[in-house]
Amino acid sequence: MKSIELVKVYHSKEKVEALKGVNITVGKGELYTLLGPNGAGKTTFLRIIATQLMPTKGDAYVLGYSVLNEPKEVRKHIAVVPQDVAAYSSYTPWDYAFHFAQLRGMTNQEAKQAANRALKAVDIYKLKDRTCATLSGGEKRRALIASALASDADVLMLDEPTSGLDAVARRGVWSAFREMVKEGKTILLTTHMMEEAEIVSDRLAIINKGTVISEGTPSEIKGLAKEKYRVLVEGQFDDLPSYGEVAKLGDRNIVYVKTQDEALELLKFTLKMGLRAEASPVTLEDVFVKLVGGLNNKQGH
Amino acid sequence: MKSYPDLKRNPLTMIMLAMISAIPLFFMVIFSGGGMLLHGIVGAMISTIGFIGVASAIGEISWDKYIKLREMMVAMPVHPVSYAMGIALAPLLLSIPSLIFFGAIAASWGIFTPTTVFWTIAALLICWAAMSTLSFLISTYLIKASPWLLNQISNLLGIGLIFIPPVYYPETMLGSLSWISVVFPTSNVAGLIRAYLGLLTLPPETILIRWLILIAMTVVFVVLTALKARWRET
Repeated sequence: MKSIELVKVYHSKEKVEALKGVNITVGKGELYTLLGPNGAGKTTFLRIIATQLMPTKGDAYVLGYSVLNEPKEVRKHIAVVPQDVAAYSSYTPWDYAFHFAQLRGMTNQEAKQAANRALKAVDIYKLKDRTCATLSGGEKRRALIASALASDADVLMLDEPTSGLDAVARRGVWSAFREMVKEGKTILLTTHMMEEAEIVSDRLAIINKGTVISEGTPSEIKGLAKEKYRVLVEGQFDDLPSYGEVAKLGDRNIVYVKTQDEALELLKFTLKMGLRAEASPVTLEDVFVKLVGGLNNKQGH
Repeated sequence: MKSYPDLKRNPLTMIMLAMISAIPLFFMVIFSGGGMLLHGIVGAMISTIGFIGVASAIGEISWDKYIKLREMMVAMPVHPVSYAMGIALAPLLLSIPSLIFFGAIAASWGIFTPTTVFWTIAALLICWAAMSTLSFLISTYLIKASPWLLNQISNLLGIGLIFIPPVYYPETMLGSLSWISVVFPTSNVAGLIRAYLGLLTLPPETILIRWLILIAMTVVFVVLTALKARWRET
């Protein structure tokens, strides 16, 4: 069953086309990530599905309800945490979780249970009565995520939810997301963090300049690359492009090669030259940069 | 939802609100020797309601650029009218202690009867309605303005509508210009309350016309706001 569906959605404002005919389907109980650089259209995409913004053309459906014509029905089933939200300093995590649950029409008892569950899920229960003014950035962010979790909505939409969190806090949030997916929730994330997209997503779409340029599981997207391996070389030598496509990063280079043997050959050569090098399979980031247009790439032979 | 945590955790806000409204009283007592105190109390009550009314929606819109509460609420089964009423009513919670304080001072002079209490509260509520809807009107038409500018406008409106027109002083002091008091919702209500408390003589038809002007003003603000406001961004 489809949880979210976009059908040829366009959005433009003041001659800027944020979305150009986007078609996407998200299944029920899936964690779907929209990955793209800044200004790609991720937030516009999410705001349209969240019924915060009207599309210029096309329609989107959440659990079968049209965002254009049935926004009230859509809103009963979604919860949103926007990008760059500042937590209100007088609020506590409890206030966020409990009151947002009440706004969903829950009784006080139901709201208390939902709030407790949500705060424990993001590991902030012990801080529930502390005002947001006294919490760290990561803790505030988790308080906001708890407000969405407490809603018990079928579809959760989070715009760059882990931005500004440290690695430990991020892992905690990812874990909470995967637990929710296990419970059958559908989660739509936007991010520009490759690691997040790769680790957390069931499927993802790479969006750039309002267009979806690739869609699939993280493995499928990584599989799009012709070159399967990358060798990070600290240093420069003239024959580098002869090994494969080179991405220059200042005094370092990433060389993309097709086979393991080619990678080993390059490693041996760099060892002879006295340069440090490290080989690994291509990452999602490598494929992403290639798809959206990388920096200083030189074609190999 | 917003004001209750503020009330619990920042109770100084209430004291600040009461003090801002009470400061002119201090000078009135000094300069008039207490003779104008009752007029000043009327002004203080309207000042409390007026400040919170005009700051309600403006403050919320400017804060919302950072807190994005409204964005989260648009994506919830919350009716826009509920949201607007919440924004307008929330600061009223903060003003109640001040109103009770000033009302108690006025009551100690023995000027309140059940009828005058009823009409005073009704007049204060229409003042709150007019100022809140004005606040929504401004924040709707200036939605793209910076939070800094919106807060300055809110402050200027507060000063311009409360301290300058005959709110703290009787309109009779303006002589031939006393008709100006009807133009501003704050001074209009001040005249009504003074009439109910016997501090000002107004014919019944004048009282009725003043009420109609206040209601009409509020309705116009609501209609103009409704014409432009959109729950979902287009």
